[in-house]
Amino acid sequence: MATTVIETRPDVLIDFDKESQGDVRTEEMLINMGPQHPATHGVLRVVLRTDGELILESVPHIGYLHRCAEKIGENLQPYQFIPYTDRMDYLAGMNNNQAYAIAIEQLVGIEVPERALYIRMIFAELNRIASHLVAFGTYGLDMGAFTPFLYSFREREMILDLFESACGARLTYSYINVGGVHDDLPDKFLDVLLEYLDYFEPKVAEYNQLLSYNHIFVKRTANVGVISAADAVGWALTGPVLRGSGVNWDLRKSTPYEIYDRFEFDVPVGLPGGSEGVPQSVVVGDCWCRYMVRVLEMLQSCRIIRQAIKQMPDGPHLAGKLKNLKLPDDEIYVEIENPRGQLGFYVRGDGSTIPARVKARGPSFCNISILNHVGSGCLLADIPAIVGSIDIVMGEVDR
Amino acid sequence: MKTLMRYDKTILAGLLLAAMACCSASAVAQDYPDPKERPERVVEGEAVPQDAYRSEVTPVVESVLFYIFGGALLLSAVGLCICRDVVRMATCLFFTLGSAAVLYLLLGAFFLGAIQLIVYAGGTLILLVFGVMLTNKSPWVRFDCKPAEMIAAAGVAIVLFFGLATMLTTTEWAQSTGEARSTTVAQFGKALLTTYLVPFEVASVMLLVVMIAAAYMARQE
Amino acid sequence: MTQMSVPWRPRGKVRYTGLSGLIAGFARAIYGMAAPVVRAFPGSILLGAIFTVILVGWAHFLLFEFADNHLIGADSNISAVRGFLGAELTLAEIENGLAVAGAPAPGVLQYAFYPIQFRIVRDLLSAGGILGFISVIPLYTIWWERKVAGRIQSRTGPMRVGGWHGWSQSMADGIKLINKEDFVPDHADGVLFRLAPYVAFVPAILAFFALPFGTYWVFRELDVALVFILAMLGIEVLGVILAGWASNNKWSVYGAMREACQMVSYEIPMGMALLIPVMAVGTLSMTEIGNVQGDGWTSWIVFRNPFTFAAAVVYYVAALASCKRAPFDLPESESELVSGFHTEYSGFRWSLFFFGEYAAMFVVSGLCVILFLGAWHSPLPMSLADRFLGDDLLSRAAKGLFFSGPLWFVLKCVWLLYVQIWIRWTLPRIRIDQVLYACIQYMLPLMMVILLGHTLYELLVPVHGIVWTFFNIALSVIGGAVMLFLVSIACYGYLNRVKLVGWLGVETLPGS
Repeated sequence: MATTVIETRPDVLIDFDKESQGDVRTEEMLINMGPQHPATHGVLRVVLRTDGELILESVPHIGYLHRCAEKIGENLQPYQFIPYTDRMDYLAGMNNNQAYAIAIEQLVGIEVPERALYIRMIFAELNRIASHLVAFGTYGLDMGAFTPFLYSFREREMILDLFESACGARLTYSYINVGGVHDDLPDKFLDVLLEYLDYFEPKVAEYNQLLSYNHIFVKRTANVGVISAADAVGWALTGPVLRGSGVNWDLRKSTPYEIYDRFEFDVPVGLPGGSEGVPQSVVVGDCWCRYMVRVLEMLQSCRIIRQAIKQMPDGPHLAGKLKNLKLPDDEIYVEIENPRGQLGFYVRGDGSTIPARVKARGPSFCNISILNHVGSGCLLADIPAIVGSIDIVMGEVDR
Repeated sequence: MKTLMRYDKTILAGLLLAAMACCSASAVAQDYPDPKERPERVVEGEAVPQDAYRSEVTPVVESVLFYIFGGALLLSAVGLCICRDVVRMATCLFFTLGSAAVLYLLLGAFFLGAIQLIVYAGGTLILLVFGVMLTNKSPWVRFDCKPAEMIAAAGVAIVLFFGLATMLTTTEWAQSTGEARSTTVAQFGKALLTTYLVPFEVASVMLLVVMIAAAYMARQE
Repeated sequence: MTQMSVPWRPRGKVRYTGLSGLIAGFARAIYGMAAPVVRAFPGSILLGAIFTVILVGWAHFLLFEFADNHLIGADSNISAVRGFLGAELTLAEIENGLAVAGAPAPGVLQYAFYPIQFRIVRDLLSAGGILGFISVIPLYTIWWERKVAGRIQSRTGPMRVGGWHGWSQSMADGIKLINKEDFVPDHADGVLFRLAPYVAFVPAILAFFALPFGTYWVFRELDVALVFILAMLGIEVLGVILAGWASNNKWSVYGAMREACQMVSYEIPMGMALLIPVMAVGTLSMTEIGNVQGDGWTSWIVFRNPFTFAAAVVYYVAALASCKRAPFDLPESESELVSGFHTEYSGFRWSLFFFGEYAAMFVVSGLCVILFLGAWHSPLPMSLADRFLGDDLLSRAAKGLFFSGPLWFVLKCVWLLYVQIWIRWTLPRIRIDQVLYACIQYMLPLMMVILLGHTLYELLVPVHGIVWTFFNIALSVIGGAVMLFLVSIACYGYLNRVKLVGWLGVETLPGS
């Protein structure tokens, strides 16, 4: 046979040595997944080193959506920065508002009215449901099941309707503000909310039937991308990713902030296969556990909201003057449980109305760091499964 | 008129049903005699049926098709030799095999033609491309010849050409008798399981051995 | 003002020339003229079009039948070439035959009937019909897939184009696709890139040439139709591989490799599953396999014995893989490979892949219907028709409507297409290694057992004996029960849609 001449395309990584020429061996290929790829949930770019379908290395590259959010925070008064926090984790705007508001309130020492606390909590939990619905739907999409996505968006749409009735916005709410919430609830809001909960809770069982316990879905996600509890703690993972690894850590329960200590709810954690409601092939810390923690958390949020509706007090919804707050020469770091994990805000004041330093600790940013650790040695089709189960929002990773 | 327009869908749906009924009805002509088009089925032990398919294509059309596909076969065979890109070679090979299959069909050898298509064009070739893409250093492999190899190849080609040419010119070809040229699947099967049973079984065992050997080699890393 | 310097080649307004320009211009002109009419009578036009298509097909069939019975069939022993262009019948003979058959306007019609005696004229007519059918089938399957997907996802699907439930949405999409730029990426293998869609599309058409729609509704009744159709489905894969390779895109190469991988795994169980009915009937001819199943739904091969039943299921699963349909849509899996092998395709070439895919969906459904599900026969036995119905036009219409005919074939195919769509919008996608395991580790041994079992069953169990009848009846009852169950579920779901979706869902989204 004639000699073979390897002509390479400029963009192909050739790992070519003369010794192995006669060998039957596949070539390693560098491949860009993203920033424009349907499964990377935004503009994440993962550089994959592949051997056929096998992934040898997957390195996340971030920064495509960087908007200097922290620097903006150092040039604006706190109430003005609230809209920017919406745009960090744009799927959980309420929670982001809440985190920054709490940080400022604790720094300044503002007493938030009781009613505002309840309203905040209801909205935070509603937003948690909405955010998990997106995570659930897009995860189905990543696995090739299109229909759950539409169902979850149908349900989320109703939550957004509720939000819209309260604050006029459907994505970037800026509703929870320093000192409370900027408007009181509209008439009959709680009745509609209760009606929605009655509608929504049975739907979760339907989703489980459609997707969670689907044989193919379990095959695709069980024992894929396993993060051990030690790894999860070691990489500072938080939120459902941490709880999926079997670590019972939820800030709402562990170090309750605001009024979370007044409610009864459970913290779902990843369980080994064969436990109640868990397929046999599931391993603690795999994609299925992370996914299932989110589904169960939606039910727990419903439970919290139901209790909050019963306890809802009357009174003012805002502590009073919000503008031109003098920030003391002090610093504060506050973490709350965002749908994706622990969202922390570090704020340092210098006596003026504008913070000297604002720093955010984003859960998505920390969670995505483990991608290379679990994303090596798996198959190409597992990468969307892992990325989807970590559930990142690029707006918050890049800030 | 307006009322009529309001119910146009209903009316048309009714007409549609009627049309469907007519359409289906015309297909029920089970007892529709057509001796010219449908040969009798093969009865065991009987002589082969008349070659009904062949007569359908007039000689002119047949020769036109023969020249078209013969030309395609030659062209793609030449292309197979002169292409340097492996996948292009495979594409040329596909057209060569496909044209050969069409020639078989023109000769009335339907079974052979279909088998040629499914085994070579559909199966083997795809495996070949797959193998090239999967196991080589790069999917973008090209062949390049040294002059010495070209000379050697040319020598082999010339010898082969003269050998074939001599054979073609000296052989006394059997003249077509104009009958019994197509063989049915049933006859094929019967021949394979009676007259040619031993070669058939030997070939099967050999393939089995090859398969086991391949599996063994693949497991050895 | 100077032109801005841009890193890419600045281009003015793209003007299409040549064939694509012609097609685009033609399509635009047609649409411009037709749009007002379509807007005025949307539903009527759709139904009218279907009506016309069926009527034209029927008229052709009757025409050929008439010509054969009264003109050619009357003198079937004529073999000498006598007429113009080597025809067997002269104009005078045709006129005579027409007069005998009682045709009106003698002296004119023979000119119309003269070309019909040539095989090639009939072939061209039939080929035109088949091409028309193949063009319509993907258009409406795509539209229907979108409607079904919409309903499954509590949406409405396309509603606007053409008026009645967006029935001409696919045509509008087609016009859009023709008008789009046929893009060839830099460093792509231009020849193969342009060739690949046709390699994928043409075999899908060719498969229709051997696929019978009814006893005589077939373009060429091949002795080896089954092998031929399988070969065509196999060649389609080559187009996909070429497309993936020629695109100079790594995702496309992945798609191509997956397709090849998948084909290697599904084709063996699929071929073996198709052998079962061939063994049961003893022929490779599809028409004959279809015609032995005319004795009511208990005579359908799928209900013949447990092995054929299992083979039908295995075949359908493998057929899903062969059409690249979910859950086996790995070569084009959107969330993993962007679009797989057709990532770099656009416009007309891209639409060719889709035409090929939907045509192949119909072909595999057709194979399943002919080989397992009673072909063009209705669940009622033909003997009933023979007993009660005569041979006049009305009786034949009744036969066609209730007993056997292309209508039943198409209906069953459409039902199987619906199942494919239903599966696609319900299930997640399997991983590539799981496809290989499923096909080679489970389906292949299973098929071997089925093949062996079926052989022994056919050899040892006497036909119409007690065991044979028991299994036949039991399976038929199961099949009927499944069908009834599905129908009743659909009815229940429709009647209780408000309760099932909830008032919020119904009110928020129309059509849920």
